[in-house]
Amino acid sequence: MSLEQFVPFLPEIFLAGAGFVVLLLGIPMGRQGVRALSLIGAGSLAVTGVLVWLVGRPTEGPQTILGDMLVVDNMAVFFKLLMLGAAAISIFMAAGFLERSRYGGGEYIALILFATLGTMIMASGANLASLYVGLELMALSVYVLVGYFKLEIKSNEGAVKYFVLGATSSAVLLYGISLVYGALGTLDLATIRSTLTAVPSANPMLVLGIVLVGFGMLFKVAAVPFHVWTPDAYEGAPTPVTAFISVAPKAAAFAMFMRLFLGAFAPEVEYWRVILWVASAATMIYGNVVALTQDNVKRMLAYSSIAHAGYALMGLVAANAMGAWSLLMYMLVYAFMNLGAFGFVILLESKGYAGEEIGDFAGLSRRHPAAALGMLVFMLALAGIPPTAGFMGKLYLFAAAIEGGYVVLTLIAVIMSAVSLYYYFRIVVQMYLRDGTEEGAAPAELLEDRWTEAMIAVCVVITMVVGIYPAPVVGWAKAAAGALGL
Amino acid sequence: MMDFQYGWLLNLICYVPLAGALLMMVFINKDNSTALKTWATLVAGIDFVISIPLWFLYKPDGAEFQFATQADWIPSVGVRYLFGVDGFAVLLILLTTLLGFIAVYCSFTAISERQKEYYIFLLILQTGMLGVFCSLDFILFYVFWEVMLVPMYFLIGVWGGPRRLYAAIKFFLYTLVGSVLMLVGILTLYWFNADGLAAIGLKGLGNAPTFSVAHLYTIAAQIPPEVQFWVFLAFFVGFAIKVPMFPFHTWLPDAHVEAPTAGSVILAAVLLKMGTYGFIRFSLPLLPDATVKAVGWIGVLAIVAIIYGALVAMAQKDMKKLVAYSSVSHMGFVMLGMFALNDAGLRGSILQMLNHGVSTGALFLLVGIVYERRHNRMISEYGGLAKVMPLYAMFFLIITMSSIGLPTLNGFIGEFTILIGAYAHSWVWALCAASGIVLGAAYMLWLYQRVFFGEVSNEKNKDLADLNRREQWTLIPLIVVAFWVGLYPKPFFDRMAPTVDRVLERVAVAMPADAETAADHVAELATQPADEGAGEHGE
Amino acid sequence: MKLYDLIWLVPLFPLIGAAFNGLVSNRLGLKKSVTHTVALLGSGAAWLWGWGAVIQWYFTEDYHQPYVVKAFTWITGGDLKILDGSVAPVDIAASFQVDPLSAVMLGFVTFVGFLIHLYSVGYMHGESDRAYARYFSYLNLFMFAMLTLITGSNLPVLFVGWEGVGLCSYLLIGFYFEKGWCASAGMKAFVVNRIGDFGFILAIFAAFMVFGTLEFSELFQAMQGDHHGQFAAAATIIGLLLFVGAVGKSAQIPLFVWLPDAMAGPTPVSALIHAATMVTAGVYMVARCNYFYQASPTAMLVVAVVGGVTAVMAATIGLVQNDIKKVLAYSTVSQLGYMFLAAGVGAYVAAIFHVVTHAFFKACLFLGSGSVIHACGGEQDMRKMGGLKKYVPTTFWTFVAATVAIAGIPPLAGFVSKDAILAKAFEAGFTDLNGFGNVYFLLWMLGLGGAGLTAFYMFRLVFMTFYGKFRGGEEAEHHLHESPWTMTLPLQILAVLSIVGGLLIGFPGQLFHLEGWSFIDRFLEPVVLSHGEHAGHAVSFGLEWALVLLSVGVAVTGIVVAWRFYKDDLEFKRATALAERFPLVYKLLLNKYWVDEIYGATVIAGTIKLARFLWEVDARVVDGAVNGTAHTTVGSSFLSGIFDLRVVDGAVNLVGTTYDVASRWFRRLQVGFTQGYAMVMVFGAAILLGVFYLIKL
Repeated sequence: MSLEQFVPFLPEIFLAGAGFVVLLLGIPMGRQGVRALSLIGAGSLAVTGVLVWLVGRPTEGPQTILGDMLVVDNMAVFFKLLMLGAAAISIFMAAGFLERSRYGGGEYIALILFATLGTMIMASGANLASLYVGLELMALSVYVLVGYFKLEIKSNEGAVKYFVLGATSSAVLLYGISLVYGALGTLDLATIRSTLTAVPSANPMLVLGIVLVGFGMLFKVAAVPFHVWTPDAYEGAPTPVTAFISVAPKAAAFAMFMRLFLGAFAPEVEYWRVILWVASAATMIYGNVVALTQDNVKRMLAYSSIAHAGYALMGLVAANAMGAWSLLMYMLVYAFMNLGAFGFVILLESKGYAGEEIGDFAGLSRRHPAAALGMLVFMLALAGIPPTAGFMGKLYLFAAAIEGGYVVLTLIAVIMSAVSLYYYFRIVVQMYLRDGTEEGAAPAELLEDRWTEAMIAVCVVITMVVGIYPAPVVGWAKAAAGALGL
Repeated sequence: MMDFQYGWLLNLICYVPLAGALLMMVFINKDNSTALKTWATLVAGIDFVISIPLWFLYKPDGAEFQFATQADWIPSVGVRYLFGVDGFAVLLILLTTLLGFIAVYCSFTAISERQKEYYIFLLILQTGMLGVFCSLDFILFYVFWEVMLVPMYFLIGVWGGPRRLYAAIKFFLYTLVGSVLMLVGILTLYWFNADGLAAIGLKGLGNAPTFSVAHLYTIAAQIPPEVQFWVFLAFFVGFAIKVPMFPFHTWLPDAHVEAPTAGSVILAAVLLKMGTYGFIRFSLPLLPDATVKAVGWIGVLAIVAIIYGALVAMAQKDMKKLVAYSSVSHMGFVMLGMFALNDAGLRGSILQMLNHGVSTGALFLLVGIVYERRHNRMISEYGGLAKVMPLYAMFFLIITMSSIGLPTLNGFIGEFTILIGAYAHSWVWALCAASGIVLGAAYMLWLYQRVFFGEVSNEKNKDLADLNRREQWTLIPLIVVAFWVGLYPKPFFDRMAPTVDRVLERVAVAMPADAETAADHVAELATQPADEGAGEHGE
Repeated sequence: MKLYDLIWLVPLFPLIGAAFNGLVSNRLGLKKSVTHTVALLGSGAAWLWGWGAVIQWYFTEDYHQPYVVKAFTWITGGDLKILDGSVAPVDIAASFQVDPLSAVMLGFVTFVGFLIHLYSVGYMHGESDRAYARYFSYLNLFMFAMLTLITGSNLPVLFVGWEGVGLCSYLLIGFYFEKGWCASAGMKAFVVNRIGDFGFILAIFAAFMVFGTLEFSELFQAMQGDHHGQFAAAATIIGLLLFVGAVGKSAQIPLFVWLPDAMAGPTPVSALIHAATMVTAGVYMVARCNYFYQASPTAMLVVAVVGGVTAVMAATIGLVQNDIKKVLAYSTVSQLGYMFLAAGVGAYVAAIFHVVTHAFFKACLFLGSGSVIHACGGEQDMRKMGGLKKYVPTTFWTFVAATVAIAGIPPLAGFVSKDAILAKAFEAGFTDLNGFGNVYFLLWMLGLGGAGLTAFYMFRLVFMTFYGKFRGGEEAEHHLHESPWTMTLPLQILAVLSIVGGLLIGFPGQLFHLEGWSFIDRFLEPVVLSHGEHAGHAVSFGLEWALVLLSVGVAVTGIVVAWRFYKDDLEFKRATALAERFPLVYKLLLNKYWVDEIYGATVIAGTIKLARFLWEVDARVVDGAVNGTAHTTVGSSFLSGIFDLRVVDGAVNLVGTTYDVASRWFRRLQVGFTQGYAMVMVFGAAILLGVFYLIKL
């Protein structure tokens, strides 16, 4: 195979290299150099992004490279850029946070870069093997990230749980893959699809395989009943990590999910749809309902992100073109509004630990009107109230589900998103309707951290702009999803 | 169907308040109370002034929707930016801008803290409301419909009474649940017009996907009855909660009681109208078959609301709650007239929306005025005010009379036309509804007597100040309108007539009586062969 | 220039006066002189223009045809499909008409109205400037409404006036609103009237649905053209519904309870509104819509029965009342009963005739009582009066004149009109009208008895008030004084009219073989729908005279009895003795048959109980359901939270508390919990698989 095959792979290669460089630089530069390192890390992400745009794009139609291990199509590009952006934001957000912490920044940034690399491979994997590799690369880096605050109980406790359960699920996934391989004798997604399209198979082994793969994916996107790790991991992890893992890996997992189920296993849709339907409904209901009574903001956002996975799953259940691109769109929207929300949690410092209790938001609008307004935007977006991106994202998912004819599922979804408003607005109540002087209220002060603030601002802008004029984003998402050929 | 002349005007009217709010947010210091008030008043005032031309420029014999604007918004899913109004909407817009101005103007002394946020929310709210009445694209409509909830939530939640948190979130969630269900209905229609709903095997019409209300009107006749039923149900929940119709009304008393005066005024005068607006703009013309089938049920609900609301109002000890329940009763009249599905009923129902806006809005202003003086809304706290505040008593009397439908005041015209329409539909309806007139007089006059007549029993009321200039001017416009509608309602009827005729024409498709008119109606409306549509609706 | 082309100016003049006094002089507290000048100008202009217009109309137009003037289009309610399948436009014009009936009403309403304005100038002088202005603006406003009522050319416009007079009566009854009971009397009046309006407005709708129009002239033609009685059923329904309205407005059984309380208002108001004009609106309306009743025996019978029974019942209550105004109030109710009795036997002209004469003598009586009360410094209890005739001579003779008139002594006004009614009632029984002859006979006897009672209680009033010696105490006696001319002049004018008015406008020609001498009979004849039958008199000449003598005899008996009881013995021993002989009857009458108490206990209490109950329901059930849902959701959230907590937070907290514990033990514990989740996942997976296989394979 010729060298130019590697050209579209340059971004990944560069990112890997950058990761190592940062890792090495981290040793001398230590804590003081966090911001410098962040700049380097973010810079390398930017370069990677540019490379993706320049060489990583399909010239004419989707093309596979490296022995059909990876595919280069618009969807891959879409996800890669999304993941790179999310990573960059979470690096910048982390900078000040890391400075204040007693841990250096080098490994952190390097791990972010490696995880991103993994997600990029997941986004463009054309083969069960390569997908799995990407998944594991991403997963391992994230396990470590969650336990990054090695002296914090919560932190490494979350890490342990995440790791053990993640390993289990990887096993399940791997077993499923092996069953599929056993049934069809190939790991290549395109081949699998063509075979199944030719003769849709009811072979129990294959079906079981697909189902198990499904379970594995459901774990990665944190869908009920495979969500149990999420609250602990999210709560335990350092807030910037939480921000990152609630976005990039989830998006990557959905990318992989789509490649597998809307791509390879599409012909078997009648077999797996019911599972996803149930999982989606259960996830929306459980996530939203449990979130109602969470007083710990990170935990609440954890459940909320579970719930959002439920919405996103509707796109897969619908299994139609709109389902696909609305899911893409939603991933993008969700990424920015969620990062923004976590940004505030990072900024709210109280009792020496990231402001996590709802009470920490009390009277924010009095002391920092701008910040409160920003948080309000994210809360509205997460609840899916127009004119924010959150509404537009949900709108298309619902529309797709209706087109698919899954009215009941949509009804569950809309009711649940109404319910969700209640817990998002518990924060709004604290910010606007309490003035933080009532007894029992322990409002946290807001840190001055230009970088994080800048990142939040970016998220606000994107959330509002996409909410008011979503046309371009919809266009990209549509183009990207076209790759699946639904 | 659309007339684009003066489209810019409509957009201007809709966005001036928003622009004003943003400028205020940026440029005016939050402690400079005078500047805030002046600016807010100015913006609301300008908005009202520039909305007046609509009254004169609207051509009753012109296109269905005038002052229209259209632009691509989200082309890939057929969501467009469609603005445009018919006479019905024009009236509601004028009501909104007028009440919006009054709401700002009446808050000068009532709101002392966090004024900047207050006026910003008030202005944003106004844009939201106006947008609802202007939108002709379902998604655009829905966006405004929900945008509106947020500022209202804050108005209640921040500046409200003791139970404001409960009231605010209740209002938000209750209405939100309704509107998301409505969204499902909208999407169903959307796909039925395009490629249908796969899994439940509903075949679509295969038209280009669009959310344009005007287009959906043309396919209404082809929507199969069972689909109409479900969509109607979805819309019904959304709109009935907003109206609010019995038994979805319980958010209203809480919201009204806790909201600050301006909030109650806007809530009563405009927000409630959105439910009824939705029925007339969407449910009736889009889902004729379901509408005709629902008449019986909704008639019963409306009558229950009329009598039940009146009786419950009678039992209230809190003035605001009393007025709130009277709203339930009055909106019952609106619904009844609407679902009489005849000319008079519908006209009356539309007029009564305006009347209710004016009268109940004024009532909340009046209650707010004494509340501001005494910080107490309990009827038992008052008595003999006619001696202390004669002018106030006079205004209150006039509004009371307009609210109980005394001829030469607006309430009568509305109730009269509604009832004659209801009678034309079924004399039983008129019989039951007319009893509301007696009860209405009973609870309003009882309130008036307990508050204004008798000795000034309560020491605290001995030296209450009578209305000041500003308070008078918040009320005078409403009273003028009340008399205008009462004495010469013709201009209002003329402006709403085209809407009424078109709606009835579209509903007629499903009327068994007018089967043959239905047939050729379908023929003219439908893009597909007529017999299909007619066949579905013939029986 | 045709004055009657601008007939709508008649109501407009007083409206302007009301606006000025209400908005300007009341606000600025202008001098009394300004206020009453404006008010007098308002009603005076209405009087002059009204009379001028009517006279000019009478001599220029053919009075058989109503002359309709359309001011402007009022309600345009679109088209409605009416019962006969045709489509009729709901176009209601604010239009007014001059026809014999409105002419008669205009004639005396504007006139009496003006007199009472004049009287009020003297009577209300004690009030503060603002109150004075308020009073006169209300009074003018009333004139506006009343004149709209009688000049309106269609039912809705009539209804405007109908409600307007209701409002003014509400305001004027509650004029002394600081007195709680005055205010509640006003509210009672309004609400009770609303019950009537309930029927009225339904009647309007019914009429529209049947005839597609609400113009009186067109309705008249429609009914006239109906020779096969196709509208009979409709007429019955509409007639009865309209009568519900009339019962409310004109205080008939069962809705008469508000009128006695209405006496809480200033006395001139009682004279104008609650005796002379407003309360007769019901009679006017029935006469105006006579074509419905003519077509419906049932409706006629109901009207007659209600009228007759009310006439007697109210009279019996009047026998024992001691409050001078209360007596007059019940007398009014009773007289209204006579008017409806007349309408019920088809003698609409007689009814209107009695309306007019009653306006004269009853206004005179009320104003007289006002003058008396004025003299006694606000005292209304006749037991504290007596022997006033030497203190207030003018009031005395005018009062006696009016009393003789109402008692039915020829040839005074009351006699002429009331005798006309009784004669018609007898005739109805005699000719077995609509086959209800016996009922009508019964009603005639009731009416006759009622006449006797009337004579009795009126003379009882006169004797108790003006004869004997003053029972009000020394110092009250010093204040006794005749009223100023503004008060006595109207009294005198009305007294004269009470004497000659009857013969003047309704000379009972048939008693002297002078058919057609009765102006009012001739004049109002075109208003009444007659299908041409029963021309001439069924009752023979002799019988006519017999009836006259009979009724006069009854009246005289009443007077004599009153004399024996209240003139001869000044301590009223006989009366008290009688009362003690029949304590039950006495209590029954004294307490007005406990009707108020019964309503209070049933209807009112019932409504309020129901309201309170529903309020509970609303708070507990309807809203409870909503909150219930919310709480269930949150509750389930808490429970499912527990599920996670047991497995998740349980660990975390435990770890937190046992931070110091040896790390090995701590790690073991960790792993243990982690396995816990693994279990959860496995179970979940199993369930999903189960679902999957159930559905798919």
